[in-house]
Amino acid sequence: MNKVGIVSYGSYVPRYRIKIEEIAKVWEEDPDEIKAQSQIHSKSVPGPDEDVATMAVESARNAISRWKGKENDIGAIYVGSESHPYAVKPTATIVAAALDVEKTLTAADLEFACKAGTAGMQMCFGLVKSKMISLGLAIGADSSQGRPRDPLEYTAGAGSAAFLIGSENIIAELEGTYSVTTDMPDFWRREGAVYPSHGVRFTGQPAYFKHTIDASKGLMEELGTKTSDYQHVIFHQPNAKFPQVAARMLGFSKEQVELGLICKQMGNAYSASSILGFANVLNHANPGDRILLTSYGSGAGSDSFSFTVTESINSIRPYKYDTQYYLNQIEYIEYGKYARFKGILR
Amino acid sequence: MEPPKIWREKRGKYLAIGIECSDCMTKQFPFTENCTKCGSENVKEYKLATTGKILHFSIVTQTTDEMMSSTPYLIAIIELDDGVKITGQIVDCNLNEVKEGGDVRMVFRVLARNGTEGLIRYGYKFAPI
Repeated sequence: MNKVGIVSYGSYVPRYRIKIEEIAKVWEEDPDEIKAQSQIHSKSVPGPDEDVATMAVESARNAISRWKGKENDIGAIYVGSESHPYAVKPTATIVAAALDVEKTLTAADLEFACKAGTAGMQMCFGLVKSKMISLGLAIGADSSQGRPRDPLEYTAGAGSAAFLIGSENIIAELEGTYSVTTDMPDFWRREGAVYPSHGVRFTGQPAYFKHTIDASKGLMEELGTKTSDYQHVIFHQPNAKFPQVAARMLGFSKEQVELGLICKQMGNAYSASSILGFANVLNHANPGDRILLTSYGSGAGSDSFSFTVTESINSIRPYKYDTQYYLNQIEYIEYGKYARFKGILR
Repeated sequence: MEPPKIWREKRGKYLAIGIECSDCMTKQFPFTENCTKCGSENVKEYKLATTGKILHFSIVTQTTDEMMSSTPYLIAIIELDDGVKITGQIVDCNLNEVKEGGDVRMVFRVLARNGTEGLIRYGYKFAPI
């Protein structure tokens, strides 16, 4: 069987941030209690001229820039998001044009709450492995919405991560992938609704934890691996607490989960959440390291992946505009400006 | 802006593609069928450099309806690393911190939205490095 894996990757996080204290001040809530619950201190906010298409393009351009291959070989582009700028008109075609890779390719927008990015990765892995294409581009991007005063308003951030998937010059080889999917009424947004609704505490045990743990366990059982085989593990990050609890439940240490836990600084980037953590791990991982990545999308499902980092990773690092670059670019804004940027003020 | 115009300008706005004259070697932006310096039709597509320096800038406070929600914003003339001069908006910056001579790089942003139901126009802007 031919090998398949990640050949390059790119990140993007908007520079604007709003602190938990700033939101809590408006609603006269206790910021310390919210921070203790979420372990997030600020969230990223897209600028007024940013949306899922612009963030997807920026992350994809970073994936292409650091890589030495030919982007014209891209045979598929999938953009996973729950906040595509158009209801009808694909984000993926905008990305294709902005990368100058129109027109002999297949493309589509995907939606599966916070796991549409990893769904696109699976599709690219399948197409490359079956030799239908030589190179695929999977992107997870979101400009997530949280209703004012809803608990989500404190954590719903924005960002994008892009992965070039191929079979040559692989930097992280795919060992296996395993998915769990059920019909779960934990989080939803009806057609035409501006803000999502959720089942509050119901989003935890039967939803996030059940799917994340079952997918991770299922993959490790299938591959015959154990937690100690992995240097890094990344889970979906609706807050910083959930992935740490999931890691503990599976038997991973704090050290194994730490590097991928980027939501503390930028909130939950929904479709980009777990894969931005994965990108940050790839920025630091050594050849031979094994990485477990498990996404979670409400509704609900989890995709779990096992990767081994190869020597080729050194050919695309260091790169200036990596995840850390964007995490370090920070301009804190007040709630008034946040309300204007998010379209709350019209 | 009408759909055909948005479609026609796509490569210029998304990719900053101009021309290079094969006779006088002048690089120009935006794309034209003829070299604006020597008139030659012997021109080919040329992708501009993506980094440069701010030569001059101005803060815009009064503009068209579709851009009013973005004011105040900053418009600059940028000299790219390949010598081509281009006009563009500077984003991701505090207006009072931008300086002539400052280094910038091209980024992909929304140029304008036609209300809540019309088309969204995308293209290049510049961010400080």
